[in-house]
Amino acid sequence: MYVCLCKGITDKDIKEAVRAQGVGSLRELKQLMPLGSQCGTCTKVAQKIIDDTIIDDTMFKDVG
Amino acid sequence: MKGNSAILSALNEVLTTELTSINQFFLHARMYKNWGLSALNDKCYKKSIKDMKQADVLIERILFLEGLPNLQRLGALSIGEETQEMLGCDAKFQTAQISQMKPIIALCEQEKDFVTRQILVDILEYEEEHLDWLETQDYQIANMGIEKYLQAQL
Ligand code: FES
Ligand SMILES: [Fe+2]
Repeated sequence: MYVCLCKGITDKDIKEAVRAQGVGSLRELKQLMPLGSQCGTCTKVAQKIIDDTIIDDTMFKDVG
Repeated sequence: MKGNSAILSALNEVLTTELTSINQFFLHARMYKNWGLSALNDKCYKKSIKDMKQADVLIERILFLEGLPNLQRLGALSIGEETQEMLGCDAKFQTAQISQMKPIIALCEQEKDFVTRQILVDILEYEEEHLDWLETQDYQIANMGIEKYLQAQL
């Protein structure tokens, strides 16, 4: 789904940035894409997606 | 007629939800239309127009109770990228609105504002019906598969 409607950025774009580019925070994400640069409504959800993706990946590692 | 302040702020919250709903369903409708899915376009377009009428009733009620309807505030839209995701976003939206409205209806009952209560019950009834329709779509997709489902929406 679209997380940032102002800039057309999806949850998949964010997850991809975390996995492929090692993004770990909203600040780092904003350096890669214009998320949150207009109305700012999306930043909370974006933050949650970053956190959830990191947690998901760490859990996968633990399982091996 | 001076309204109860808790009811007035609750009415404004429902208004924000309706204003958000207008946009979410309108955008989804036109995305479906763009993909040639006319049945889904029609359904979502009508939902959006209905939301506008519901917003109108809320605005008039807030003014009647001597409050100020807040047309500035808008909630976050949840817009999917493809049909199934869009239906899922809408179902989540409807579920959230239904649980938002129930305690407000109880508040109206408690404060004996039966007219506002009736307005909200009418809105709730329509929103529940739409959620039921969304659940039916989900069921159909699970049963006939997404491809056949989409074909039926042309
Ligand atoms: S939704 Fe992201 S800046 Fe507006
Ligand atoms: Fe509505």
